[in-house]
Amino acid sequence: MNTLPWWRIGWRNLGRNRRRTLLTALGLAVGYTSVVVLTGLTNGIIDDMVENATSVITGQIAVQAPDYLPERSIYETIGGRDGVNLAPLLAALSNDPAVAAAAPRVYAGGLVSSGASTAGTLLLGIDVDREAATSRLLSALAEGRLPTAGAREVLIGRELAKQLDVAPGDELVLVAPAADGSLGNDLYSVSGIYSSGMSDLDNNYALLPIRTLQELVALDAGRVHEIALRVLDPWDAPDAAARLTTSVGPDAVSLDIRPWTTLRPELRDYATLAKSSMWILLVVVFAMAIFGVANTLLMATFERRREFALLLALGTTPRRIVAALLAEATALSLISVLVGVATSVPLIAWWRHAPLDLGSLMGDFTMAGALVRPVLRTSSPGGMYVLAAVALLATALLASLYPAFRATRVPPADTLAGR
Amino acid sequence: MRPARWCMLALAFPASLAGQRTPREIVDHVDRMLRGNSSRAEVTMEISTAHWARSMDVAIWSLGTEYSLIRIGAPPKDAGTATLKIDNEIWNYLPRVDRTIKIPSSMMGAAWMGSHFTNDDLVKESRIIDDYEIDLSFEGARDGVDVWEFVLTPKAEAAVIWGRIEERVRRADYMPIWVHYFDERGELSRIITFSEYRRMGGRLVPTVMTVVPSDKPDESTIIRYRELEFDVGLDPSFFSLRRLRAGTR
Amino acid sequence: MERLRLLLRLALRNVRRQARRSLLTASAMVVGLALLILSRTLADGAHEQWIDSGVRLGSGHVTVQHPEFRARRSIERHVTAADREAAESALRDPHVAPLVRAVAPRIEAAALAVTPGSALPVAIIGIDPRAEPAFSEMEQRLTDGRFLEPGDRLHAFVGEALANRLQVELGHRVVLTAQTVDGAIGEQLVRLTGTFRTGIPEVDERLVFVPLATAQEWLGLGDAITSLGVLLDESWSVPNAARRLRTLMREREATAAVLTWREAMPELDAAVRMDDYGDYVFHIILFVIVALAIVNTVLMSVLYRTREFGVLQALGVRKRDGAALVVVESMILTGVSGVVGLVLGLGATWLFFRNGLDLSSLMGDQMTAAGTVIEAVFYPRFRLAQIGVSLAFVAAIGLLASLYPAYRATRIDIAEAMKFEA
Repeated sequence: MNTLPWWRIGWRNLGRNRRRTLLTALGLAVGYTSVVVLTGLTNGIIDDMVENATSVITGQIAVQAPDYLPERSIYETIGGRDGVNLAPLLAALSNDPAVAAAAPRVYAGGLVSSGASTAGTLLLGIDVDREAATSRLLSALAEGRLPTAGAREVLIGRELAKQLDVAPGDELVLVAPAADGSLGNDLYSVSGIYSSGMSDLDNNYALLPIRTLQELVALDAGRVHEIALRVLDPWDAPDAAARLTTSVGPDAVSLDIRPWTTLRPELRDYATLAKSSMWILLVVVFAMAIFGVANTLLMATFERRREFALLLALGTTPRRIVAALLAEATALSLISVLVGVATSVPLIAWWRHAPLDLGSLMGDFTMAGALVRPVLRTSSPGGMYVLAAVALLATALLASLYPAFRATRVPPADTLAGR
Repeated sequence: MRPARWCMLALAFPASLAGQRTPREIVDHVDRMLRGNSSRAEVTMEISTAHWARSMDVAIWSLGTEYSLIRIGAPPKDAGTATLKIDNEIWNYLPRVDRTIKIPSSMMGAAWMGSHFTNDDLVKESRIIDDYEIDLSFEGARDGVDVWEFVLTPKAEAAVIWGRIEERVRRADYMPIWVHYFDERGELSRIITFSEYRRMGGRLVPTVMTVVPSDKPDESTIIRYRELEFDVGLDPSFFSLRRLRAGTR
Repeated sequence: MERLRLLLRLALRNVRRQARRSLLTASAMVVGLALLILSRTLADGAHEQWIDSGVRLGSGHVTVQHPEFRARRSIERHVTAADREAAESALRDPHVAPLVRAVAPRIEAAALAVTPGSALPVAIIGIDPRAEPAFSEMEQRLTDGRFLEPGDRLHAFVGEALANRLQVELGHRVVLTAQTVDGAIGEQLVRLTGTFRTGIPEVDERLVFVPLATAQEWLGLGDAITSLGVLLDESWSVPNAARRLRTLMREREATAAVLTWREAMPELDAAVRMDDYGDYVFHIILFVIVALAIVNTVLMSVLYRTREFGVLQALGVRKRDGAALVVVESMILTGVSGVVGLVLGLGATWLFFRNGLDLSSLMGDQMTAAGTVIEAVFYPRFRLAQIGVSLAFVAAIGLLASLYPAYRATRIDIAEAMKFEA
């Protein structure tokens, strides 16, 4: 036995008591997987929340003229009175690696009227194709179809449709103060009705093809109020906004590029709060995982005092015993963490791409129409892969070395005698 | 003392005033003489903002404080557009789409035809002597003209937005010179000045009225009277939705 | 009987003599139970608090309103004075009254707020200043001035953001214009008495609270209201209270509808359900990991008892009794751990979090910039059923984990067991 190097002894010991090895490894691996998957899940829940909240209409980044907010004056278009050459600007903005899509928008306040009913609304001019790639609002289409570019067609919310008593195909009058001081007004046909489930959206918005709205309010084709950008990971938005400010900002017209975190600080605060409260849960699970691992290894090592005593009696030095145990614990932890990684990575990936659909689990369950998916999805747990591995490894080592140290200090005869 | 009334308009007669009047009576008198019973006017409305300037020819019929009808004659793009006001309600007629639209309460804050008046200004006919306490603050010569200056303070429960209104009136002929509207911080919010006092429709009236929002001193709405007739024999049935659509002759 | 006493004594002695092993095994259960209790009471508290703030800000756990009001909020669709009377008397019913924490009559209407600086569409909420503080807690969102008080008439409590956009300060005039119940346009003067901030833009930029009586007079509603919000002590008594109220309302021939918060606020319902599921998944993970820690510790200790069982058998103890011994030992450990874990869990929760778990300290100072409706402080919530479930779970795992060793104890071959094991 003495001829073998200490790490070989450690390795061999693992194989000698398979049941013990299996139990300990199981504890470690499950602990690791739990912590990592839970982190992924909590990240996923928060990311989804932010995603959902920003994707419905805001977008993750808004590009506007510097003076557009907070007044939202119809005159404050990007590039001022001359407007801007849209295509190159859109291309420049989309050039950033984080930006997945860009959609120009025109806003105007106005009246929408049918028969005897009239309501004040926010008119939103959109590029239908670009908008569909940028926000989710258009996917809430419930009846009819989306408006056709260039046509005098309008898409309205379900509550507004109810209030005006109109259906797809019906005629509407839109009235809006135009940018030249006149009162823009014209007849439009309802192309479709959307239902987002959010009363503000369903009550107050009317969507038109961007050029159609520009004509109503006497704005040239190059004049838009906003370009909404879609960023796949909402948390990349602040960096992307900063990058765009330096890359696109200077050589083009003067732009104000804001990520959702500054556009909607309350959402950022809420996400931070949610993160902190999930941290508490994570700490609890982490504590339990560490405790389980420590307990199992303490138990295992304490129960092996007789074995150590025998080795000591046979002349093995305490250092060699501790070294062998170290090898054993390291090998065990490494294998367990590898198993943990091997289970959690595919689990998280699978869960991310095939999220648990609560809609089907709970039957009749929709959130905000079709806009918010009622799913539990995971996001990458990031540094937790490493953190959990290191923490569990350290726990395992400490929990097996401490009893071993103790055991090697007790005279072997006492232990063997059962005293 | 709302600009709406000045806008809707405005009839005056050089009153022969006997004896000393209270400030309340004087302000009420100025108020009434600019309103008259029924009237018809042709005005030019010149609006200039930071973004555009335009001029409209407008015809106005009014009966007391309850009824008025306003029709735009030029420019061609807006010609035929008309507004009917009965009590607290406003309808707009849009010839381009041939529709009549009742303005919902949520849109009463919007500007009327791009001017510095809101729909709300048109609707809220003044109950000036009901809504305000009126005090004489100055009496004597200003810029060589003998004037009264009044301070109008809203009564505690009156549904008016101003913190205070000041008004300067010529003593000689009861012609208003200006009206200053203050918010409750005491900051000047809007100024209406009157000028070019001429006889029209048999009465002496200020034929030009200029409105300047004090937070945008470069902007203004100027109303110039081209024609004015009083007591034109209108009755309430004149102010109908049918008339709003069909024209006014 | 005699044998049972012997078993018990033997088991007790084993537990005592193998102090270290007992301690390790018990500690797995104690810590597991304590953490379960801690996390469940905190999660429960946060969850209930969420529903609570949601329904407080909205229409209450249960709301009485016109059947069509939800489809389209218009002032004509109100709860008549007679229906309101019926609902209030139904709420005094001995089966309902004990469940109720607060009742708040309200009027909701769309209006235009006009000041010299601007004219904005707003949402009017007429409230009873006496009933409201116990209901919506808007008072605690106060940023300036004061909340509405009984006897107030021309007063308004307005979102800070709205007050800024209207460019008004405390005491300033705001003229409200809205359609009255008979379709005319009604004007109402109010003065700003206080401002609030919730952190929700839709609330801070739109809501204007005015005294109920003022709104009733202004809108021509008389004693009618648009909704009667009912706040219950516990969210789980909602279905029961709603059912009971419906029956009572029918008996009183009232036509107003009784809606639960899930019906009246489907958006909140959906969000709460999402949260529920997140909670389930989290607790499943926690349960699994607690179970594993316990099972692992128990099994590990048993692996090394083969020799002990062999000795017992060599001394003539029957295999069945050997197994029974293991189970009894386990029961003793589980019992003790259960009590200790319970005390520890409840004690720790109470000790650390009785004043609430203040997350704001975790979030740095950016959080203090904007108040959020979701409180940054969570209060644990002790529910007997939840604690019972955790306790039963740990006990069951502890006992189940001992069944395998017990089974093994019956299968031991003496010769094999007595061999020296290195």
